[in-house]
Amino acid sequence: MESLASFFPNLALGFQTAVSLQNLTYCFIGVFVGTVVGVLPGIGPLAAIAMLLPATFNLPPVGALIMLAGIYYGTQYGGSTTSILVKLPGESASVVTCIDGYEMAKRGRAGPALAIAAIGSFFAGTVGTILIAVAGPPLAEMALKFGAPEYFSLMTMGLIASAVLAHGSMVKAIAMIFLGLVFGIVGTDVNSGMSRFTFGASGLADGLSFVVVAMGLFGFAEILANLERQKEASTRDLLAKKIEHLYPTLKDLKVSAGAIMRGTAIGAFFGTLPGAGPTISAFSSYALEKKMAKHPEEFGTGAIQGVAGPESANNAAAQCAFIPTLTLGIPGSGTMALMLGALTIQGIAPGPQVMTQRPELFWGLIASMWIGNALLVVLNLPLIGLWVKLLQVPYRFLFPAIMVFMSIGVYSVNNLDLDIYMTVFFGFLGYVFIKLKCEPAPLILAFVLGPLMEENLRRALLISRGDPTVFFTRPISAGFLIATILLLIVMIMPNVRKKREQVLVEEGTG
Amino acid sequence: MHKLTRIAVAALTAAAVAAPVGAANAQVYPNKPIRLIVAFPPGGSTDIIARLVGQKLGERVGQQVIVDNRGGAGGTIGTELAAKANADGYTLTMGTTSTHVIAPAAYVKVKYDPIKDFVPITLVASTPYLLVLHPGVKANSLKEFVGLVKSQPGKLNFASAGTGSTTQLAMEMLKIAAGIDIVHVPYSGNGPAGTAVMGGQVQALFGSMPAVLPHVKAGRIRPIAVGTAKRSSALPNVPTVSESGYPGFEVSLWLGFFAPKGTPDPVLRKLYDELTGIARSPEMKEQFERNGADAVTTTQVELSRLMKTELDKYGKVIKSAGIQLK
Repeated sequence: MESLASFFPNLALGFQTAVSLQNLTYCFIGVFVGTVVGVLPGIGPLAAIAMLLPATFNLPPVGALIMLAGIYYGTQYGGSTTSILVKLPGESASVVTCIDGYEMAKRGRAGPALAIAAIGSFFAGTVGTILIAVAGPPLAEMALKFGAPEYFSLMTMGLIASAVLAHGSMVKAIAMIFLGLVFGIVGTDVNSGMSRFTFGASGLADGLSFVVVAMGLFGFAEILANLERQKEASTRDLLAKKIEHLYPTLKDLKVSAGAIMRGTAIGAFFGTLPGAGPTISAFSSYALEKKMAKHPEEFGTGAIQGVAGPESANNAAAQCAFIPTLTLGIPGSGTMALMLGALTIQGIAPGPQVMTQRPELFWGLIASMWIGNALLVVLNLPLIGLWVKLLQVPYRFLFPAIMVFMSIGVYSVNNLDLDIYMTVFFGFLGYVFIKLKCEPAPLILAFVLGPLMEENLRRALLISRGDPTVFFTRPISAGFLIATILLLIVMIMPNVRKKREQVLVEEGTG
Repeated sequence: MHKLTRIAVAALTAAAVAAPVGAANAQVYPNKPIRLIVAFPPGGSTDIIARLVGQKLGERVGQQVIVDNRGGAGGTIGTELAAKANADGYTLTMGTTSTHVIAPAAYVKVKYDPIKDFVPITLVASTPYLLVLHPGVKANSLKEFVGLVKSQPGKLNFASAGTGSTTQLAMEMLKIAAGIDIVHVPYSGNGPAGTAVMGGQVQALFGSMPAVLPHVKAGRIRPIAVGTAKRSSALPNVPTVSESGYPGFEVSLWLGFFAPKGTPDPVLRKLYDELTGIARSPEMKEQFERNGADAVTTTQVELSRLMKTELDKYGKVIKSAGIQLK
């Protein structure tokens, strides 16, 4: 491995570039702006970077990229903060954080949840940075091996795993998955160009936006449910007052350490795949932690591993998303496409040449990724006290503010007013789900994965001229399908056993 | 905090001083920010060129130019919005082959007329289309490629950025011109389509220059022909389709500025002068080249004529390929 030998001199060059006062300042500005913007619900990295891109036109290339990368991490991190505090996921990857993070906050443990998210993200970011430096190009080659059949099988595995997210009734979880698939169908069919379920609204031609569905089902619905409870001596305010620890206890750290490491590994693996990397990693990690936990029943009621694992996973994935972008010039997401645009404006053609032609830029960016992650921890750990205090603001002030920011955030994605009305619709739907005790997480994941699954299924069959064996004859695809079957068996077995036990108990008593 | 207060006071004072001046010049265009509607989400080549030109335009006229991304439905949402905007020069749009030619021809329900609802100002850039192959495909020229496809009709695949996208239509034109049968596999955007060719999932792509050029330079895909009338300055060794045996073949994506019909003439003249000045500046030419685009300027009449020819040309291809977007 030639890259390993040159690793340290390269990294030294990177730090030399990044640790100039000027670049550190850009990095700090980026991380700070990112955090501030990210905390506003609904405004994700894409909107933030798009708004700030012109401001970087006149900066030196290294500085511009460092600042944009800082914004990217900052918003990602800010998104977790809102997920934990007010159940508002800014991105699909944060949906999983809502489940146990928000439960922890309700139990007065918002501090430890935020801290573990920061620590997990930092660890994952560090590993991700090293990985990019050491194994970027070969990992990118792996990503190229993923064709339509591979993506389809991966998505199938993800969809099956999403059933694990629910901690209540399995039947309800499956029903929610199907509902999510239906919502995912809305929009223009990639193959034929026909509109499906758009009811003539051109705003629906590209499908329902993720932010709309997530903000509605999580944030908006939660506000409705909370308002209903206001009269009953406001459980929420009471809960917020009995905060014991601001930071995680030693026990918390011990329990989370394994979750952080496993989450990082999962995120690093899926992150290099262009597409749904962070989302799939976040909930694969959740599913894994739930299976590994001694007390899986704690999941969904505020298990700290349920925050530590997915947060590490999505940050590792976010970091590794730079691998295909930088080494191949393939953007994995809209945000990465913007970063790529910023690179070209600065006169840099992304691809393998970047590393040889502009080493100071490539390695400077990598070093600044790590510095950015470190700055985030430094910036966010002291802020935790402030965020937790925010929860103590009387709800009658807090909820209108959340509503306003949420509306701005939803609008900012597509600049479409229809999106705000749709959020209201999903808000009421989410309220009904709360009443029916149906959990929205599996719905959202099916909503995200369903369209990708369909697209790749049809593409795979189009390329194979209708021969379904491609899914089994291609080794990577076959591997995912075998894993899916194993996953199904693991999931069904305990239920069958439990049912049998139940039957036996009933027979015994009867 | 003190610093902030001082800045706030300074800003207020500046605003107070500036206000009467602005009022006195109310007749002078522009006296408030200009909205530039881009009918595509941020990050694409149209968006980037709009942002580059928009920023320069803002500097030249002394007002901010705000890029308003109204993506969706193949660019028809944003363009429709621009068609209905006030015709006062404060709403402009970046029109392209997609929004002003292909969408009106391919979509069944487009609520704007590219000719009747807009006045063209000028083109600023055009991006060539480049026919690229996966390196494993045994063809080094367009002639060999056509021969290869003819030897196994319906067996090979080509990627596109979506059904009804310019990348599909460019290949459909070649299919008609060369009489070849190759299967269309739509992807969701230029990025995934390029990746599919690099990974060998599909064999060919008529890709837009900015999307494929970096991969060509990295040697991951093989360019065999460029769709423009003249060879591209970015790849001078790659022949045109036209010189490879299909004279008259020409596809490119052009980008230009349009205003809603009824925008006053003095405003249009001012914008024409500024925009052509920007597109001709060496700095912008260089920026465009980095993004795989060439700087182009046209008069109003030339642009109107171009749109009419293109509507006719693409209309025929769309019909013969049976594309109908609903």
